[in-house]
Amino acid sequence: MKKTIGLLIAVCCSVVSFAQTQLDSVQYLDVIELSDIKLKQNAAGFKVTVLNDSVLSKNTSNFTDLLRFNSNIYFKENGYGMVSSPSFRGTNASQTAVIWNGININSQLNGQTDFNTINTNNINQVVIRNGGGSVQYGSGAIGGSVHLDNRLSFTQHLKNDVKLNYGSFESKNFSLITDYGQDKFAFNLGVNYIDSDNDYKYLDSDKINENGAFNNLSLNVNLGYFISEKDVIKLYHQSFIGEREFSGTTATPSKSKYEDENSRSMLEWVSTHQNYKSNFKVAYLKEYFEFYQNKNSEFFTFGQVNTFLAKHNFNYKLSKQVSVTSILDYNLFKGEGSSFGNPERSIFSATGLLQYNPSTNLNLGFNVRQDVTSDFSSPLLFSMDALIGITKFYKVKINGSKNYRIPTFNDLFWQPGGNLHLVPESSYQFDLGHVLDFNWLQLQLNTYYIKSQDLIQWKPNISGFWSPQNIAEAHSYGAEVELTISKKVNNHQFRFSSNYSYTVSENLETNKQLIYVPFHKANATLAYSFKRFSAHYQQLFNGDVFTTSDNLKGPFYSLQSYNVANLGVNYKLLQHFNHELELGLKVNNLFNKLYQNVAFRPMPNRNFNIQLHYKF
Amino acid sequence: MKKIIYSIVTLSLLVFSCSNDDDAFTQPEPLGAYENGILVSAEGGPSSISYISNDFSVTENQVYFNVNNENLGVYLQSIGFNGDKAYVVVDAGTITVVNRYTFEKLGTIDTGLTLPRYIAFNGTTAYVSDWADPYDATDDYIAVVDLTSNSVISTIAVAEGPEQVLVNEDKVYVSHKGGYSVNNVISVINTLDSSLETITVNDSPDELFIDNQGHLTVLSSGANQYWLTPPVETLASITRIDLNDNSIISNIEFPEGQHPGLMTYNDGNTYYILNNGLYSLSDTETSLPTTTLFDITATSAYGMAVKSNLLYVTDAVDFSGNSILTVYDLSTGTETNSFDVGVIASKIYFN
Repeated sequence: MKKTIGLLIAVCCSVVSFAQTQLDSVQYLDVIELSDIKLKQNAAGFKVTVLNDSVLSKNTSNFTDLLRFNSNIYFKENGYGMVSSPSFRGTNASQTAVIWNGININSQLNGQTDFNTINTNNINQVVIRNGGGSVQYGSGAIGGSVHLDNRLSFTQHLKNDVKLNYGSFESKNFSLITDYGQDKFAFNLGVNYIDSDNDYKYLDSDKINENGAFNNLSLNVNLGYFISEKDVIKLYHQSFIGEREFSGTTATPSKSKYEDENSRSMLEWVSTHQNYKSNFKVAYLKEYFEFYQNKNSEFFTFGQVNTFLAKHNFNYKLSKQVSVTSILDYNLFKGEGSSFGNPERSIFSATGLLQYNPSTNLNLGFNVRQDVTSDFSSPLLFSMDALIGITKFYKVKINGSKNYRIPTFNDLFWQPGGNLHLVPESSYQFDLGHVLDFNWLQLQLNTYYIKSQDLIQWKPNISGFWSPQNIAEAHSYGAEVELTISKKVNNHQFRFSSNYSYTVSENLETNKQLIYVPFHKANATLAYSFKRFSAHYQQLFNGDVFTTSDNLKGPFYSLQSYNVANLGVNYKLLQHFNHELELGLKVNNLFNKLYQNVAFRPMPNRNFNIQLHYKF
Repeated sequence: MKKIIYSIVTLSLLVFSCSNDDDAFTQPEPLGAYENGILVSAEGGPSSISYISNDFSVTENQVYFNVNNENLGVYLQSIGFNGDKAYVVVDAGTITVVNRYTFEKLGTIDTGLTLPRYIAFNGTTAYVSDWADPYDATDDYIAVVDLTSNSVISTIAVAEGPEQVLVNEDKVYVSHKGGYSVNNVISVINTLDSSLETITVNDSPDELFIDNQGHLTVLSSGANQYWLTPPVETLASITRIDLNDNSIISNIEFPEGQHPGLMTYNDGNTYYILNNGLYSLSDTETSLPTTTLFDITATSAYGMAVKSNLLYVTDAVDFSGNSILTVYDLSTGTETNSFDVGVIASKIYFN
């Protein structure tokens, strides 16, 4: 537990809590082990939350559930396992960037990442960075960004991890992870397969979730090898092959099916020297989908984008206080699809980061970025952030930034309706955070304001076709509280963590709350462990959301708030040298509550999951 | 004696029942809460149907939900009326049959339909236009529905994007707007032998009706595919067709850049809305009007109807909240009433 907190502090206040020499070694290790080092070095004034192994392994369901129960992010899920889109600080799904080992993996087609196509079993840590991050992470990092990191550790070790899950609705999950390392070489492999009939009963009705079955296979392979004392070559690969039926609504059945294949491969060369570090990445990303309106028919529509990417990151330490980073980034996107022809886009961007840490109690960051894009002109982006240590226990974080979201291939080229005259959405924001840290208790309070303009909205044009336009302006403001308490009494260990967010997100023309943004969202987890036994209880409260723009309440205009709870108990059957066998039982939706997070699409009733987890 | 008493009783019964009948005649039993009013269907989501009484004194939103405690599904495309029944056509592949006056659900037609659009009736048979897979240009059809069993009994393959359907004697006329693409034909189906003819009109034909001269009138909004490279734009038109030989009597084209999407017909006049201006032309006029009757006020005019010297227009506003139904006096252009109706309200029917 303490390790987690330590890590959290390390991330939040990278430089402050360590002496310079220690810092060097920590950073050196980070450079080696993690691909996305900016997250630590250049985010001092941002709220950053790390979900590590212990949190990840408690989650036996999907990525959406992990974040619903452990972060401030709100999700719209079209029924369990179906398309899942996030809303971060009142922004929309294409304004949340998903970053895989330092590179942005949001779809070029719709600008979003479907969180149910990400498998966290093969991810070492998930990092949530609240607030604008376009300077460092590109398009879509407006509400915040979610980072998926793989770690390669160059110490002598061999660890294997096997999980077998069986649960309600014929849900099966198999996962294998092998992690090997020595001084010069590190390797890890993860394989995961999920299959579920997902035919849960709709509570208070005689219907079940028809046409909702899904399965997916994901594969992760990561390698690292020191070619010299200062140079390491790393290879990251992730593949995901999924097949999902798309369930209908309570009113209308569906026969549709969606198949997708995503693969990401990245080769990285990291060179670490006394005063400078160089990091060169080339990557190839592929996203491909087939959509069947009728799963029994041969006919489908498809879309695919191939992304070629080269990125060079050069960090130079001018003095003990000042370091500068330059990032040159080139992306080439080639699309092809039934509904948008064969578009191509290239983006070149240049970014400069200046980190100035005049004292251990003051960290300052100044960052700028300019893109040159083939389709449209992009604004100059910037961000400034500061971490101020007031006392040993109390720190203040401040940041302000300009961010953007570029029009997607769908926005530009969709047939019918695409609009070639779109410009990027842009947004200004300001964030003030307070961190109280008493070792056993951490409290973070953040307040923010985001103003976005040229928001892209689809509405019918004069020909009756839905078409996107840069018309809307919106602002959001709110507060986020995160509290973590951990306590150990003899062999009894307790950990309580909780998030609460208050979010106002309004269309500036009508001054009405945007649809599907709850004013209130809260979650809490209480975990307890005693020797071989451990248990945790999770609760999520999601406030009312409006489903139409009128801000009226009722079955046609809003969704009622809901409370969902999960309970998990685990017992280590075997704990012998390097062998550990744990049996886990989890009850999801413990109180069997009927709830929907998208209108007319009920979520599962109470369901069970048994896990056998073997580490050796 | 018995006979006399019997006949008196019978007579009195007769008298009684006759007088009873008279009562019923002068004061008919209401057929349901939603008789004598205007129905406005909204695509959604969620889709819904609103009712407004003819004297505008009673309004009710979400009529179907209120009566049946269930939703219709997305997206409500259109409603067809036949006898005392209404057939609610939902894109997701169902037609819900209700009593048009009480809105009580009577049944559903949900097999054999994929993406139904409009329904028209011929006795105990209905014809439903269906896009099938909207991305597949070759699988579109007209579903032939037996109304006694509420089942699809056969299908007739047609060109891409069949939209409105109209039955006249033993012919079914179908406008092929083209679905997600563009088409430019009217299908004419002979119901006796299911044979098919087509009439070529301007691009994107949608609204169609038979005017007082007995001619088929079609509004084509013209193509306006600015997302293509190079962009494709063709002229909109109002086409009048001779029902006897399917020949084109007149084709009145709009100038470039004008793409009217809303048209309605009432008592010898065709009405259409273009850029919030209301225009009309009579059955015999062969050129477009040069001036508007008056201007309407709407952010996004999305549906229109005319009856008894009143114009009804729905405004979908931002397409994510309630729409507004506005009523105008047709002679003066003054706005007489307005009502909140469902999300993306598109069709106005008189019940």
